[in-house]
Amino acid sequence: LRLWRCRCRALLSRPTGAPRARRGLAAGPEMHFGFQTVTEEERREKIYQVFENVAKKYDVMNDSMTLGIHRVWKDILVHKMNPCPGTLLLDVAGGTGDIAFRFINYVRSVRQRQLQRKLKHHQNLSWQEIFESYQNDKFNSLGDSQVVVCDINREMLKVGKQKAQHLGYSEGLSWVLGNAEELPFDDDKFDVYTIAFGIRNVTRIDLALQEAYRVLKPGGRFLCLEFSHVSNPLLSRLYDLYSFQVIPVLGEVIAGDWRSYQYLVESIRQFPPQEELKAMIEDAGFFKVDYENLNFGIVAIHSGFKL
Amino acid sequence: VRCQQYPPLRALQASAALRAASDEHKQEPWASSSQQHFDSPPAGHQPEEKPQGPHPSYTGQGGQESEDYESEEQLQHRILTAALEFVPEHGWTAEAIAEGAKTLGLSVAAAGLFHSDGSELILHFVSECNSKLSELLKKEQKLVQLGEAEKKPIDEFLRDAVEARLRMLIPYIEKWPQALSVLLLPRNIPSSLNLLTSMIDDIWHYAGDQSTDFNWYTRRAVLTAIYNTTELVMMQDSSPGFQDTWRFLENRVADAMTMSNTATQVQSTGEAVVQGLMGAAVTVSNAGTSRAVR
Repeated sequence: LRLWRCRCRALLSRPTGAPRARRGLAAGPEMHFGFQTVTEEERREKIYQVFENVAKKYDVMNDSMTLGIHRVWKDILVHKMNPCPGTLLLDVAGGTGDIAFRFINYVRSVRQRQLQRKLKHHQNLSWQEIFESYQNDKFNSLGDSQVVVCDINREMLKVGKQKAQHLGYSEGLSWVLGNAEELPFDDDKFDVYTIAFGIRNVTRIDLALQEAYRVLKPGGRFLCLEFSHVSNPLLSRLYDLYSFQVIPVLGEVIAGDWRSYQYLVESIRQFPPQEELKAMIEDAGFFKVDYENLNFGIVAIHSGFKL
Repeated sequence: VRCQQYPPLRALQASAALRAASDEHKQEPWASSSQQHFDSPPAGHQPEEKPQGPHPSYTGQGGQESEDYESEEQLQHRILTAALEFVPEHGWTAEAIAEGAKTLGLSVAAAGLFHSDGSELILHFVSECNSKLSELLKKEQKLVQLGEAEKKPIDEFLRDAVEARLRMLIPYIEKWPQALSVLLLPRNIPSSLNLLTSMIDDIWHYAGDQSTDFNWYTRRAVLTAIYNTTELVMMQDSSPGFQDTWRFLENRVADAMTMSNTATQVQSTGEAVVQGLMGAAVTVSNAGTSRAVR
């Protein structure tokens, strides 16, 4: 019932006419795929193919397109999250696992500091007491934190699993195939839900946001890292130039796929700007919704709480 | 253009459901008579069966209506209050806030509502202590007004008020230096200064200070200095029951009293001297005119 009412509100508050279709919302069969107009089904298929094609070269392309800055953006996202040991994270559209690995590293170092503090505290105790505390404490390095990486694309998950093996991440990590618009998880399960550079590719953003609300525990946090709109006109011109002239060429040279990267760049332009995304997140039921611009709005982190 | 109406009326449904569930748990033991009045399904199903709407309310076991509507600020308040009991162990940090949120049934991610350096937690604690002090002073004043207690002399009143306020720090005394340093961060100075001055103001108000002249400033400056220095002494005091701190406080208050007495004495002496000089001048001028007349 609540789902239906939320969707109703979303429909009622949207402007009617052509702009609706361009924003990729519940506007009937016509949707945008980059600058083309396609149906919902076509859009899903095309996006699936895009990521199937780029999966193997995804990380390399990220580095070359953003000149490595995407690593900083993802670091900032995890720092903003500031997870404590025991947090259960759901990383949606997390394909190659960048956020998941950073989360594990962060939690591991926080846990180490915690243990060090405990040991310092222990220096006043007797040997007997210290031994007893070893029995009680599970000195697990992650402190029961876990991350579930969910992606709709099998290829991306495969690449992610290979990366995890290669980098030595084994515990606290799970890989699940799933659609952001219809998550295969129960209600009230996760502490944090992140979606980094993925929500742009979701066909029905409002559904994804509602699913995010559903699977989060009360008090849980929604974090979205995504390309957004640059308001500074000069920077915007330079950014457009770079996006449309350089990136597809890089795509052809490095990944052998100019079209996919053309889509990527166009989809950034089609994505709602910061304030509009903030409104959509509030519509889904989140509170204290806020956003932080990184690099003048090239990228923005939106945050909301399920209260 | 989105609907502007509903955001201010939206209830915090998830946390409201949690509170309802925990209230239900508390009330279930004595449910017998009102069974038919309110069927209590297991707590897990509560979220779905709550009446949805801007002001969800339910009729509790005792037949009272309780508003579940709670603002974000109130929820944050509750989280911070719950976090205080974890401060001795974790310090004034986001970890303590996360533990506090856990006790309320919220996710640990709720600590993200606040700054990671614990500023809000400390400011919340300080303002709670100040409110407690106000209540204490108000109660004492009432007793005096009803004639059940003697009105204390000023120095004793100040001493007791400052001691009562500082005693509230005792459970957190180990981590208090950390809190002081956070309160001195540029970002927090306006709020922490505000809280300090309003507390000092309160104490003087209940001490019966009604001055409207420059004394108002000097009194507050003096008491602020006494409070701050005593607080610092307390940080590194290891005597039993903080005796050294209270003795220090006593001495400082006595100093302040002596200083103000000396000030009045100096003033009256000065006036007397001036009058003497005036008198001498008048005598001399009279003597002069009388000689001129002769």
